[in-house]
Amino acid sequence: MFDAVARNITFLLGGFVVTLQLTFFALAGGIALGALVGLGRISKNKWIFQPVTLYVNFIRNMPLILVIFWFYFVMPIIAGRPLNPFLSAVISFIIFEATYFGEIFRAGYQSISKDLTSAAYSTGMTYIQTARYILIPVAFRRMLPSLITQSIVTFQDTSLAFVIGLQEFVRRTSIVDNLEVRSIQLFGFVAIIFFIFCFIASKISRHFEEKGRKLGMI
Amino acid sequence: MIEIKNVNKWFGEFQVLTDINETIERGQTVVICGPSGSGKSTLLRCINGLEPYQKGQILVDGVSLSDPKTNLYKLRENIGMVFQRFELYPHMTALQNITLAPMKVRKLSKDKARKKAMELLQRVGIPDKADSYPANLSGGQQQRVAIARSLAMEPKYMMFDEPTSALDPEMIKEVLDVMIDLAKEGMTMLCVTHEMGFAREVADEIIFMDFGKIVERGTYEGFFKNPKSERAKEFLKQIL
Ligand SMILES: Nc1ncnc2c1ncn2[C@@H]1O[C@H](COP(=O)(O)OP(=O)(O)OP(=O)(O)O)[C@@H](O)[C@H]1O
Ligand SMILES: [Mg+2]
Repeated sequence: MFDAVARNITFLLGGFVVTLQLTFFALAGGIALGALVGLGRISKNKWIFQPVTLYVNFIRNMPLILVIFWFYFVMPIIAGRPLNPFLSAVISFIIFEATYFGEIFRAGYQSISKDLTSAAYSTGMTYIQTARYILIPVAFRRMLPSLITQSIVTFQDTSLAFVIGLQEFVRRTSIVDNLEVRSIQLFGFVAIIFFIFCFIASKISRHFEEKGRKLGMI
Repeated sequence: MIEIKNVNKWFGEFQVLTDINETIERGQTVVICGPSGSGKSTLLRCINGLEPYQKGQILVDGVSLSDPKTNLYKLRENIGMVFQRFELYPHMTALQNITLAPMKVRKLSKDKARKKAMELLQRVGIPDKADSYPANLSGGQQQRVAIARSLAMEPKYMMFDEPTSALDPEMIKEVLDVMIDLAKEGMTMLCVTHEMGFAREVADEIIFMDFGKIVERGTYEGFFKNPKSERAKEFLKQIL
């Protein structure tokens, strides 16, 4: 039933590894940049707030596929030499996903009341201690379900990197399909793999959401 | 002793506090009341350095808060604060809420901090709730944990900002009883509250604030029974 898959399994899984690598770097960069973008979005300094807000609104109104395309074709003109597709894709994903993660962080930061911070200060804790033991853990727990959900979306989005010729999972599958002509079987296999990963992640997200709700934090 | 001398504070153009003068001696309990928006919370926040003020001076045991050399973190160890909405750390148990600052700020060992926290929970009447999370406690229980959390730092002063106004009526008493005991044991307290019974029992002085000014001050008998200003009379009519 999965004969075509079996014949090409190494090649296909090689593509899946690229997908995982892409997801990993997109998430690491997207979450790190997103944490800063979130700070920028609550900044009272308009020289920080306005450019960050412009960036967020601009990118969020842009289809991801355009960001990937645009970056891949424009960067060589700026840089003077072609970028490798993997690096180009990673940077586009970071730029794109950071705006979504940024909004999650913004909500997380804003969910902390002024009085909760004051309560910690009034026991004599310093800013660093308050951030470390109270603000970050509380905000993080509140954000965790959304962070996981957005990570699932990022994982799914990585397949769009095929437009710049990156040989990730979906791209390699279509290469195999051109030779084998077994679309249903091959893309069925891709769907199953994606489904398993996303399903597990969404269960984890649900688990943290339930836990947060029990602690009255969400 | 807390000395507030001619303190003025603005939020932008808006003046929240105007010429506040007040001295709180050790062992005294001072009750602050007044309509919503009159600046009561802001005054408390100024006293433990959570808000800056622009004119005048606040001295805690002779140390000026506006002196840039003053270590506000150190100063706040001496001033406990209790909030209307409890503000317990939601991801920690009652016991962890209480032991955090003694362990991190005072560097107490875990065992010592726990032992002390259990004594405090005993004192506020909920030793059986040590391992409960705030979400599983009633409002009255949460507020008592919050009081214990403040007391764990052995503060010289305690400030309360409407500690019972978010509570159901049947829970108000359990919190007030803890506060009354504290006052009788000699704690120096500054309480924003409209609880007359509490004021009658322990207040040495009552301050009435309106539009950022102290409009009237007196004892329980003097203020609640014979208010002088029209604003105070009006206000008392509303809360009685
Ligand atoms: N950070 C802030 N920026 C601007 N205005 C503020 C700020 N905090 C408080 N205010 C204003 O200052 C005034 C006094 O506020 P404050 O919270 O001290 O009043 P309050 O007497 O405690 O009232 P309540 O009984 O409602 O708690 C209010 O008009 C409020 O809107
Ligand atoms: Mg207030």
